Amino acid sequence: MVIEGTGVLADALRIAAVEVECATTVVVADVVTTATPFETLTDEDFDAAWEQPMRHAISAFQRAHRAGHARLIAVVPTIGMSGAPNLAHAAATAEAIRVMVKSAARQWGADGMTVNCIALAPELFGIDPAAVGDVSLAPPALAGRTTVVDDVVPLVRMVASADAHHLTGATLTADGGVWMTA
Amino acid sequence: MSVESTSSTDAATTGTRLAGRTAIVTGAGQGVGEGIALRLAAEGANVVVAARRAETGEPVAEAIRARGGSGVCIETDVSSRESVQACVAHTFERFGGLQIMVHNAFHGGIPHKLEDADLDRHWNAMSRTGVWAVLHTGQAALPHLRAANGRGRFIILTSPSGVEGSANIPLYSPVKAAERAIAKSLAREWGPTGVTVNCIGPVAASPALVAAFERTPTLQGAIEARTPLGRVGDPESDIGSVALFLASDDSAFVTGQTIICDGGSFLGL
Repeated sequence: MVIEGTGVLADALRIAAVEVECATTVVVADVVTTATPFETLTDEDFDAAWEQPMRHAISAFQRAHRAGHARLIAVVPTIGMSGAPNLAHAAATAEAIRVMVKSAARQWGADGMTVNCIALAPELFGIDPAAVGDVSLAPPALAGRTTVVDDVVPLVRMVASADAHHLTGATLTADGGVWMTA
Repeated sequence: MSVESTSSTDAATTGTRLAGRTAIVTGAGQGVGEGIALRLAAEGANVVVAARRAETGEPVAEAIRARGGSGVCIETDVSSRESVQACVAHTFERFGGLQIMVHNAFHGGIPHKLEDADLDRHWNAMSRTGVWAVLHTGQAALPHLRAANGRGRFIILTSPSGVEGSANIPLYSPVKAAERAIAKSLAREWGPTGVTVNCIGPVAASPALVAAFERTPTLQGAIEARTPLGRVGDPESDIGSVALFLASDDSAFVTGQTIICDGGSFLGL
């Protein structure tokens, strides 16, 4: 399994050394973690938060296709779906990658590749949940925190299995039942 | 079956819902931006037609004035921070305030295969005129929107493709998705100051869509067939009226939302 991305979550997945059934690329969104009011973002900030991570993600998607992998999995924080004050620049990248998954799924299904997204709690990416704030009136449905080894790895293994052959363009949210919109 | 839309003539009926307010509409030299500019002006707003070229923007401003409205054209390149700042500064100088910023301008959208996409050819223009321009227009407008005493409005034109992806222009979708994510974030960030931020996802007879109809004669029928209301939207009476709602006091309690205005074709929200 190829893991693309440079953040703490990508590193954790590399350390976990997940064994999967199908040839798989996992693209972990390189989202910035520093909360900054939108009005003070500089062009340099925005280039680092939006332009460069998106260029890397597009190239990573293309590498996965060139490699002939059967599975492409993007991993993003839920802030793209919920929005996050002072993190608009990071939310933009997260949501763009999540929806690029759908475009890729539509084009590459005929090539035998499924493309899906796993959306995770922001703290797994190093984003302070207090900065994100409450995104639902309801408390989390499940107690405890999502962990890489117990929660993310099994999910990656499932999506990368032969059993998931007809699953594509989907977003699987694993955040303990915080964001429930689809 | 095709049901006629409200005509542009009807939409041009003057009102006062935006009297005394000033709006900038980017990409207003044609299509959806033009329709929004005309509709806002018809309700009394001073409208700045922010167009990349005066050749397209000035006729729209003239049309506004010919209807008895207040419109000026300011040449603006939304991909340039300096150009957008200058537009806002000139607007404030001319009208003494800015309550409504509508970011509609967009360039790019060339069909492509994702595996072959070239960042210079298939990404740059969309990223710059879409997402970067949201940064530029939002930042430049914010001080004025905050000063609008609860009437500050930031409206971003996005697309159903920003929700469901696109098989034809795959890199268009992430750009439009990013705009929605920014709108949600800013709705939460700016809400305490009384500024609302919303998106419109239109399907309307813009020049780009009309050109696509000409290239692919079956396309219009296919779109109409899958659209419950049986037609493609009119930029002024259909899309402009939704923009008017979001710009007006009627939407004071609406923020962070996307209104898909496509006759019911996309039902995924």
